[in-house]
Amino acid sequence: MLFFRSEDDLRAWCAERGAEPGPMVPVPQLWRLSRVWYGSRLDPEAPRPTPGEARAIFAGVGLTGSFWDPVSRQE
Amino acid sequence: MTFETRVRTAILETFAATGDAPSPAAVAGRLGSFLEPVLAAWNRLREGRAIVTGEDGIAIRMANPFSGIPTEHTFESAGVRYYANCAWDALGIPAALGRGGTVRSRCAHSGESLLLEVADEGPERCDWLFHSLVPAAHWWDDIVFT
Repeated sequence: MLFFRSEDDLRAWCAERGAEPGPMVPVPQLWRLSRVWYGSRLDPEAPRPTPGEARAIFAGVGLTGSFWDPVSRQE
Repeated sequence: MTFETRVRTAILETFAATGDAPSPAAVAGRLGSFLEPVLAAWNRLREGRAIVTGEDGIAIRMANPFSGIPTEHTFESAGVRYYANCAWDALGIPAALGRGGTVRSRCAHSGESLLLEVADEGPERCDWLFHSLVPAAHWWDDIVFT
């Protein structure tokens, strides 16, 4: 899980590895995800998200599709 | 609160206070416990993916969003430097701590440095992108690679 300064850099990095680029997530969207995912991490009673909860968290910040499905069978 | 939860909380609170991973002995001391039950909880936390350990099964490699070893992704706040496991966790640490600071990382392709100020309400304007090569369903196949 890495940062890239531009889409061109991201695509070039993937091409060098023969990999198809995955979803490109802008920093503001990553922050929204981080707030929901980790905002209660230091709370002793906060459980880790179940797969269903994780799917809902991703969808809640606009990350949808099989790539973001924790139990997806699709490669 | 279960003993396992107390151990997990002690691990995360140590990371939050110091930026460093605690040892089982340190957690035992903090909890006023013997070492043996802490080690048993350590194993359960590893099996439950709350922590990732090194080859010795003891040293904490990850307690997301914190990294127990130096990485290229850091967050600094209130005089403490935290290592993050990945780009996501570099923003995950200020989210978990609930306070601002400075994220440092780099572009994986160009090597250009990223210096990102994060306020309580979020990071400053930034056009950079986050990318995961691995789909969510496979993150834990090899979490260190992910």
